[in-house]
Amino acid sequence: MRKNIWKTNGMQSLIASLICIILGLLIGLVVLLFINPKGAFGAIGTLLKNFMIYGKASLRLKYFGTTLVKTVPLLLCALSILFSYKVGLFNIGCSGQYTAGCCAALYAALKWGWGWFPCILFAIMAGAVAGAIVGVLKSYCNVNEVISGIMLNWIILYLTNTILSNVKEPTSPYTYQLSQYGKNALLPTLGLDKLFNNNANVTMAVPISILIAIVIMVVLNKTKFGYELKATGYNKNAAKYCGMKENRNIILSLVISGAIAGLGAALYYQTGIQQWECTTASVPGMGFNGIAATFLGGLNPIGTILASYFIQHITLGGAYVDKTMYCSQISDLISAIIIYLCGFVLFLKIMMNKAIDRIEEKKALKNEVSKEGSAK
Amino acid sequence: MILLIQYTLIFSSVLILVALGGCFSEHSGVINLGLEGIMVMGALGGALAMKYLPIAIPGFFYVLLVLLAAILFGVVYSSLLAVACINYKADQTIVGTALNMLGTAAATVLVKAINTAENVNNVSSEISYIEPKKKFIAYLGEFEFNWFMVITIIALVVAYVVLYKTRFGLRLMACGEHPQAADSVGINVYKMRWAGVLISGAYGGLGGICYILAGVSIWKFEYGVAGFGFLALAVMIFGQWKPHRIALSALLFGFFRALGNTYTVFEFLVNMKLPSTVYNMMPYIISLIVLALTSSHSRAPKAEGIPYDKSQR
Amino acid sequence: MAEQYAIEMLNITKRFPGIVANDNITLQLRKGEIHALLGENGAGKSTLMSVLFGLYQPEEGVIKKDGVEVQIKDPNDANALGIGMVHQHFKLVECFSVLDNIILGVEPTNHGFLQKDIARKKVLALSEKYGLKVEPDAKIEDITVGMQQRTEILKMLYRDNEILIFDEPTAVLTPQEITELMQIMKNLAAEGKSILFISHKLAEIMAVSDRCTVLRKGKCIGTVETAKTNIEELSAMMVGRNVNFHVEKKPMTPGNVVLEIDNMTVASKIHKNNAVKNVSLKVRQGEIVCIAGIDGNGQTEFVHGLAGLDPLVSGKIFLEGKDVSKASIRQKSILGMSHIPEDRHKHGLVLDYTLEDNLVLQTYFTDEFTDKLGFLKRDAIRNYAEKIIEEYDVRSGQGPITIARSMSGGNQQKAIVGREIEKAPELLIAVQPTRGLDVGAIEYIHKQLVAQRDAGKAVLLVSLELDEVLDVSDRILVMYEGEIVGEFDPKKTTQEELGLYMAGAKRMEVKA
Repeated sequence: MRKNIWKTNGMQSLIASLICIILGLLIGLVVLLFINPKGAFGAIGTLLKNFMIYGKASLRLKYFGTTLVKTVPLLLCALSILFSYKVGLFNIGCSGQYTAGCCAALYAALKWGWGWFPCILFAIMAGAVAGAIVGVLKSYCNVNEVISGIMLNWIILYLTNTILSNVKEPTSPYTYQLSQYGKNALLPTLGLDKLFNNNANVTMAVPISILIAIVIMVVLNKTKFGYELKATGYNKNAAKYCGMKENRNIILSLVISGAIAGLGAALYYQTGIQQWECTTASVPGMGFNGIAATFLGGLNPIGTILASYFIQHITLGGAYVDKTMYCSQISDLISAIIIYLCGFVLFLKIMMNKAIDRIEEKKALKNEVSKEGSAK
Repeated sequence: MILLIQYTLIFSSVLILVALGGCFSEHSGVINLGLEGIMVMGALGGALAMKYLPIAIPGFFYVLLVLLAAILFGVVYSSLLAVACINYKADQTIVGTALNMLGTAAATVLVKAINTAENVNNVSSEISYIEPKKKFIAYLGEFEFNWFMVITIIALVVAYVVLYKTRFGLRLMACGEHPQAADSVGINVYKMRWAGVLISGAYGGLGGICYILAGVSIWKFEYGVAGFGFLALAVMIFGQWKPHRIALSALLFGFFRALGNTYTVFEFLVNMKLPSTVYNMMPYIISLIVLALTSSHSRAPKAEGIPYDKSQR
Repeated sequence: MAEQYAIEMLNITKRFPGIVANDNITLQLRKGEIHALLGENGAGKSTLMSVLFGLYQPEEGVIKKDGVEVQIKDPNDANALGIGMVHQHFKLVECFSVLDNIILGVEPTNHGFLQKDIARKKVLALSEKYGLKVEPDAKIEDITVGMQQRTEILKMLYRDNEILIFDEPTAVLTPQEITELMQIMKNLAAEGKSILFISHKLAEIMAVSDRCTVLRKGKCIGTVETAKTNIEELSAMMVGRNVNFHVEKKPMTPGNVVLEIDNMTVASKIHKNNAVKNVSLKVRQGEIVCIAGIDGNGQTEFVHGLAGLDPLVSGKIFLEGKDVSKASIRQKSILGMSHIPEDRHKHGLVLDYTLEDNLVLQTYFTDEFTDKLGFLKRDAIRNYAEKIIEEYDVRSGQGPITIARSMSGGNQQKAIVGREIEKAPELLIAVQPTRGLDVGAIEYIHKQLVAQRDAGKAVLLVSLELDEVLDVSDRILVMYEGEIVGEFDPKKTTQEELGLYMAGAKRMEVKA
């Protein structure tokens, strides 16, 4: 039997994601119309345009680079969430692991003057440790990973504020600029900055993040380790029955998940694009937007690349929205609506399958009728 | 010392209200991870009521109207969870998380829009309620008595009676434990779960307005509720899904949260010279420890988190 | 005037995608009779009862009560018509009391508040009248299966139901409890209740029912007066051919001891006591040893302890002379222990994996299927899967790449059996390997077990079905409340004798 292309999982995920995006934007539009009908269409257009709002091609290119730089941490957070989700765990502690990575990278860079590579490793380790705590609590104490993840997010946030206060500007709440006090830790650009109109923030981070996505896909689909992790995620009883070490896999997957999030922080802050604000009062949104990107990407690493870019694109687009009418948080609002809609993906897929079955049935019926007709 | 008791009681009240919300939802079989978002929405409803209600309304009715607004917002918002998780069998974790993000984002957008409409230069997400707040408070000597302490006790008693003494409670818990059994005796599982989630929305909304009235008189909606919804879930687990035990564990958590606000008045604590962040972290650390110690023995409602599918009975 | 029926189901047809579950079935239940509904697993009995109970709507056919056509759209309608059902898997809320479970759905209330005193009086009166002994305030999770079943019966009586459906009620009971249940059913019928009794056990049907309707593959084969028929005729009607219920096997030639268990104790997950207490036994090459017993007497925990899914409290396990008491599941598996698990969906399969990925679940990590870098050898897995699929006749839509979830229960089980036997084990543990399968698949699996025994392997069978126990095994050990209370030669014992030991009424000292 020929397989109907519309019935493949990838195709359905893509369609479902597109439906979520379109519906999310439509609902966002309705909200904007409600707030101020005059500028609503323009505002949605601005979100979608982002850097295209600039007239000059050179400026467009430069801010396209910035969008890519900011997509890197989001992509890695999304991959972090995706990786643990394959083992059946919802790593909402990703934000905390990301923060831990940021803390480690900046502290090592500014206090000890480490080079970029050891800084990255240190950030990975910090994220991994944060992930390991959640994993250990989950596997040995049966603590729901969502609740422990949230608790750790706050603990890590306060710790980071305290620790990074040692390397902050005396007059502002921000940490020192890497370009002045931690040059060694700046990531090599590999000449990529030249491609984006000398945007110095475009570094090796961009290709590395895509590489990581591909590696994760290979690990999950082609290796023994991936086979074990997915088996644990689908049916942990069966995994235990056939001798897989469930606890080890849970901890390991959260350690890797944390490490990816930590890496994400290092690849972002070590471009020097932004400093940590030591009075930050809420957990970085990166980990939460990562959830949106993970599910919008259909839980597929490659889909996640596209989804992360999209989310970051509209988030940055939010900054250009006319402030006299709307605030920049409308892009957060739309991301949140999109995650909510992603909850319906399963239902959408069932509906699609039903529709396809109906069409196929009709076709089969037609074929029969035409056969009968020709037989006569 | 009085200050510590006062803060402990008020923070415990928040935790009790929200944890009871979680308790109703989970007893019906739906894990409500969206309590943070519901709290924000409840706070928004209450804050808007305080912003627009004429201050001349007598105290009792004023308080009542504010509470009703908070409840209404919470209930309406929680229906988003109900429709997705009960009727469309969405993943309860994803939807709950989405509601948390959506709550803060929507409240911020809305309040900013209101502020900007009033004054083009005001781009803050703040609502202030200095005068209205006084209606919630009575002074007993130095002790700042907040009416929410009474409301919480009433809510607690109501929750206990409803769960254990009424037909509704029996049926609700049957749906969370064994929905197939409930269905086979003619109980509409979907309806009961809707009821459970909506009640959790009402309690969560109350908890939200209580939270922003606990300490300050101006609220900035960008901040959300700092993980309080999740702390409440920890309280609920520690309280083993039982109202009276939830009240006791909320007192414990409330105490550590209150310490963060009041440790400066205790000389020996100040002398220890711990950074203030230690006290900020305290409730979260305590909850992690408590969860680690109690989770392996906890007995959650058996069918929680599993969407009920009529066709698979 | 035509005969008065309590309930009539006339020409019922119910289709599911790809299958006709009920094809023009007619079932007429007289007032005050016990009417048996006989058929194999998958014959359509459950579907028919679900239609009667309002869980499914039939495409064709009508249901009449007392000669009047009725519509049953949901269980509430069935209840209103006085139809009640004891489900095969009890529908009881475990952490509720017996009383709460009985009144759930029809609670006596005053302004919404429960009035349990009124309910208690009524329950106690009913319990007295029909001899259904229960403790109203005990929690379901603390009482015996027999009392749980009596609770279910009281649930129907409390609702004044006139038509009582019993869905496979004897599967969980001891032979003595079964006799008791039969008596209860006869009492109920004598009081004017009409009873539908669903079963695939012929002896019980012969013993208790007045008439019997037989279903096969969704079709109605006929209705007979029980008094005018015999077991052979019924079985031929049920299966469509004469079945050889006895498994052919050669005399056994036992060899060396493969498995030795010495004083094994395993904790219970439900209560504070140990579920398995000081069990010692030996299994030798070339013999099938069967653990018989009523469900819930520690068999599950015994197997979990043996396989390594749960830790031992104390005791030792030797596999081919090696101490494996502390070995991991994986180590035991490599040393030659294969395990066909009790619950194929919970433990046996990753339902969302393909068939081929499920077939290497026990061996994926070996050099045969994983290269040195940790990558899976997909070609080798495909070849291996195709070999098992062919040898064990595993049927599926798309061969190796079929998602396991979409396969039928019988084929899923064949896949598991194939996987565990192809591993070339020294010891094969099979836990209820034929549960929920049709006669063809049961015969096939029994043959495979005997073939392993004849090939000189040790086989440990755990079964709840006494027919299977007596037919397949070479030695029977009875487990009661976590202890081995009797050892029997299947040729020299009877169901009744085993029943006494299974119920704890008798016990003997057993040496391993």
